[in-house]
Amino acid sequence: MRILACYLPPSGGKATVAGYDVFRDSLEVRRRVGYLPENVPLYREMRVYEYLNYRGKLKGLSGRELRSRVGQVLESAGLVDVSRRIIGKLSKGYRQRVGLADSLVHDPELLILDEPTIGLDPNQIRHIRNLIKELSERHTVLLSSHILHEVEMVCERVLIINEGRVVASGKTEDLTGLMKEHAVVVLEVRGSRSQITDKLKDFDGVEGVECESAGEWHRFTCECGRGEDVQERLFALVSAEKWPVRELRTEHKSLEDVFVAVTSNGGEEDSE
Amino acid sequence: MKTFLVIWRRELAACFLSPVAYVTMVSFVSVSAFTFLAQVTRNAGTSDPLSVLLFASIIVWLTILVSVITMRLFAEEKSSGTLEALMTAPVTDAEVVLGKYAGALTFVTIVVAPAVACIFILASLSPGIVSVDAGAVTGGCIIIFLVSALSVAVGLLVSLMTRNQIVAAIACFVAIWCVLLFGWLVSSVPGVPPKLAAHLSAMSQIEDFARGSVDTRPVVLYVSCTGFVLFAAVRLLESRRWK
Repeated sequence: MRILACYLPPSGGKATVAGYDVFRDSLEVRRRVGYLPENVPLYREMRVYEYLNYRGKLKGLSGRELRSRVGQVLESAGLVDVSRRIIGKLSKGYRQRVGLADSLVHDPELLILDEPTIGLDPNQIRHIRNLIKELSERHTVLLSSHILHEVEMVCERVLIINEGRVVASGKTEDLTGLMKEHAVVVLEVRGSRSQITDKLKDFDGVEGVECESAGEWHRFTCECGRGEDVQERLFALVSAEKWPVRELRTEHKSLEDVFVAVTSNGGEEDSE
Repeated sequence: MKTFLVIWRRELAACFLSPVAYVTMVSFVSVSAFTFLAQVTRNAGTSDPLSVLLFASIIVWLTILVSVITMRLFAEEKSSGTLEALMTAPVTDAEVVLGKYAGALTFVTIVVAPAVACIFILASLSPGIVSVDAGAVTGGCIIIFLVSALSVAVGLLVSLMTRNQIVAAIACFVAIWCVLLFGWLVSSVPGVPPKLAAHLSAMSQIEDFARGSVDTRPVVLYVSCTGFVLFAAVRLLESRRWK
């Protein structure tokens, strides 16, 4: 991300933004990129509007355009009430928003956000996420995050990078869809444990069964084969056997599972 | 050019937005005024001109002033991470270096100016002093400005090399004194012609200028050295992106 924002040179390969090389035409790239570093560096002694004015001027805005842009970003980042406060005295959430406002002030084509919701409370996180979604309608947003739940909610395309290499990339649905092929069905029923286990193991389409027991109730986790939806047939089995059921559901794989799968596989390949 | 002015304004504003500016101004003016007064009392009756005493007192404290002002220029931005924000904006390395340099030099000039007024205050308060040699004071001002210009550049270069402000201040202080005493240090090396050593001696140049004898050779020396140090600073800032 620092390479794309022209702070560090690429140690190998080449990076271009909007057709400009980050090394040779770094000024052109920087004009088109809004970058929010992870630690949100700000001049703490300045007031919010002063800081945004300064950053706007630094990024080549002036006069009426500067005033209107600063007004707009103050509003869209929800900073109007604190615009005259000193940055050092603001809470973390507000400072994060000042950083975001700064990265937006010159209306960049590409917005690079490095962990924008870290250290915020749930309300602030929700606010920032909504803001990013709004922004993504008009700008390209590149977001880095370790909070995969957030990525799933906000992003359209996902790249997973492990030890400097891209290990998976694609649309969010495609990536989570990858994992759906290996579905897991959870079934919680009452009855004789060994009997049910045997029935499930013999069941067509179920490849493995694990069981956790709590009193009379047993929770079976069934690994199913590729591309098979066994839930409906399992229900038929359960009703035929007249087992009392408490739960029967297919577990959906999240991006987190995808991440674990691709990064741990990658690691094994590397060690081989 | 516009970006340069923006950075210059921000640097100057940063000094006045923090208490640093006011503390350094008050301390600098009072210590240099007291040093001047002590020098005048001690040298009463000798033939030393007042202006030489004044500028000698200022130069001693100027080295500390410049170290304190320049230590934060880059070291602070590095340690707080704001350098990343600054350098990812569409600004060239030269604009950043020159903007910061101009801001710091302007501030140093603003702080030093009232100290020069001491000589006029002394003259108006003591009936024994008939007049102040305006030419000598002008000469002193020129050399003080030249020395400040060079030492601020040195301080900026040192500040670029570290992220620790204390280290920057100490290294800068030592470096400035090395520059000021360079001629004197060279003169003790066997084989160096004494004339060359005299030309490099900042202390004797300051004395000459403060007597009112303005020589263009030291002016060229200081201006070119300042230019070279600033050039080195731009290259050093650039080196982060060298492969």
